[in-house]
Amino acid sequence: MRNMTRLIQNEWLKLTKKRSFWIPPLMLAVIGAGVTFMLYKFSTNVAEMDSVTVYLAGMLNASGLGQFVAILSIIGTAGMIAQEYAQGTIKFLLIRSRSRGQIFVSKYIVAVFYTLMMTLIAGAALYVSGGIAFGFGGTAAEWLNVLQQGAYGFVYALVYVTLTFMVGALTRSTGVAIGIGLASTMFSGIVIFREFYKYVLFPNADLSVYGTMGPPIPGMTVGFSLIVLAAYMALFIAAGYTVFRRRDVA
Amino acid sequence: MNAAQSNKMSQSNQSNQSNQPRQVGGAEPVLRLQNVTKRIGRKTIVDKLSFDVHTGEIVGLLGPNGAGKTTAIRMMTGLIGISEGDVQIAGRSIQKHFKEAIVHVGGIIENPEFYPYMSGYDNLKQAARMTDSVTEQRIMEVITLLGLQEALHKKVKAYSLGMRQRLGIAQALLDRPKLLILDEPTNGLDPAGIREMRDYLKKIAQAEGMAILVSSHLLSEVEQMCTRVVVIQNGRFVTEQHIGEQGRVGALPELQIRVDKLETARQVLEALETVQVTEVRESKSELICQTEDREVPALIDALRHADVAVYRISETKKTLEDEFLQWTGGNQIA
Ligand SMILES: Nc1ncnc2c1ncn2[C@@H]1O[C@H](COP(=O)(O)OP(=O)(O)OP(=O)(O)O)[C@@H](O)[C@H]1O
Ligand SMILES: [Mg+2]
Repeated sequence: MRNMTRLIQNEWLKLTKKRSFWIPPLMLAVIGAGVTFMLYKFSTNVAEMDSVTVYLAGMLNASGLGQFVAILSIIGTAGMIAQEYAQGTIKFLLIRSRSRGQIFVSKYIVAVFYTLMMTLIAGAALYVSGGIAFGFGGTAAEWLNVLQQGAYGFVYALVYVTLTFMVGALTRSTGVAIGIGLASTMFSGIVIFREFYKYVLFPNADLSVYGTMGPPIPGMTVGFSLIVLAAYMALFIAAGYTVFRRRDVA
Repeated sequence: MNAAQSNKMSQSNQSNQSNQPRQVGGAEPVLRLQNVTKRIGRKTIVDKLSFDVHTGEIVGLLGPNGAGKTTAIRMMTGLIGISEGDVQIAGRSIQKHFKEAIVHVGGIIENPEFYPYMSGYDNLKQAARMTDSVTEQRIMEVITLLGLQEALHKKVKAYSLGMRQRLGIAQALLDRPKLLILDEPTNGLDPAGIREMRDYLKKIAQAEGMAILVSSHLLSEVEQMCTRVVVIQNGRFVTEQHIGEQGRVGALPELQIRVDKLETARQVLEALETVQVTEVRESKSELICQTEDREVPALIDALRHADVAVYRISETKKTLEDEFLQWTGGNQIA
């Protein structure tokens, strides 16, 4: 356990010690505040936003700032494995008395942390700016809804971060990982009205649609989507893990 | 190739091919390669390589470019799979018990690579967090040993290659390994840097009491610090050579004698039982022969009696480098 926490600490430091580390979180905070300002200034239905909680619930999911959380988390974590190869540091990493499995898992855990951190930053930026614009406060039921939408936003981002993570492990290229990760987020909005499509990752990624527009394809439910997402994420992790453990490091 | 040499070669070949452990002081070897083979596609890059390294030894792994040194080292450290055979470190198989085996190894494979945006100290901390027992005190110890105090808090991207090599060795030493594996540690260093590296490797071997395996394609770079060299070419074992204090055991001094009557001189010397004529150089009017020091006066007398004028007698100093080139057939790249 101590071994694992120290590996996680290493991975976290590798991300945070980079000067560029602050760019995605800062961008996210600025975008959050900027969007609030624009809505407040130009939107016609501001009257409906009687408190920050309603605003937060509407903005945290994938149709709001959740999309940016996903994009910026993909960019922030895509290089975690590929960079080790690019820098040559992979050799130092793998000739220690730690298994490749442990190293892979510690990296993935940090990718999850990063995505969580970005979700929280988005929430904080929207809360502060939204509170100033629409007034702080809100009922317990509203806060519960905020949590739910926040969780949906987090899951959405995590699905694509996991996909990107796997691509990074398979291709050892940060560029390819970011490219495929970002491109796949674009597919989320596209729905093909065929039975098979409900088993595809993309229409399942945004769980918030069930509360707003209804199921993307008739017969889909939140539970169904959660199972599909879990299956895909397990597949991505298993593929990345297997390749990372077996590969010759030249 | 002379007789003494080929004899020696076959001896070492023999001792190597028999899979009997060669006992040195009764201890098990720190590193043992047993018929280690690496095939990629149809190509055999390392072919049935076997040798041992014992505590206290500094062994050079020598071979021309492309001989398979790096590939062999990658197998020893578990970076790549082993197609056939096994590598054991302190008695543990790197394939079956990776963590237990690799814990005894510190190494630099090819170039010393670090996180460039971190300081040298932060990089050492990264390595330390991947060990079970490295303390802050130990980190400071290796920093002092390698003389890295000044550069400690500078970002690694601002390090010179020499400094990176030292930092590489520092991180390799952190967990007090029994075996230090260095792939071309002198690569890219200037002559002063190479000498410095040599000096502190010797110092480290003594201070930390471990075995060191250093690969190189230049014998001259490692012969002064190695106790033994293992030569490979095209992935195969070629020869193994102990490097003594003065020259090698069994080799007779080789003399180069310039005379006026070459043919007469050759007949005179061949008649002497204690002298072996190995070469006649018509162009320089020189004979190359081997004999022991105490036979040289008799040799000179014999020449004078035959009325041969001797202009010059000198020892041909064949360096290990020359022999190395001979073993590996010149400097061709495999
Ligand atoms: N992944 C690979 N696929 C195919 N061939 C390879 C691979 N890795 C190495 N080789 C080949 O194997 C041979 C040995 O390479 P290796 O790097 O082990 O040599 P080396 O002794 O370290 O040489 P150098 O002194 O140049 O460092 C070379 O001919 C090389 O081209
Ligand atoms: Mg090499």
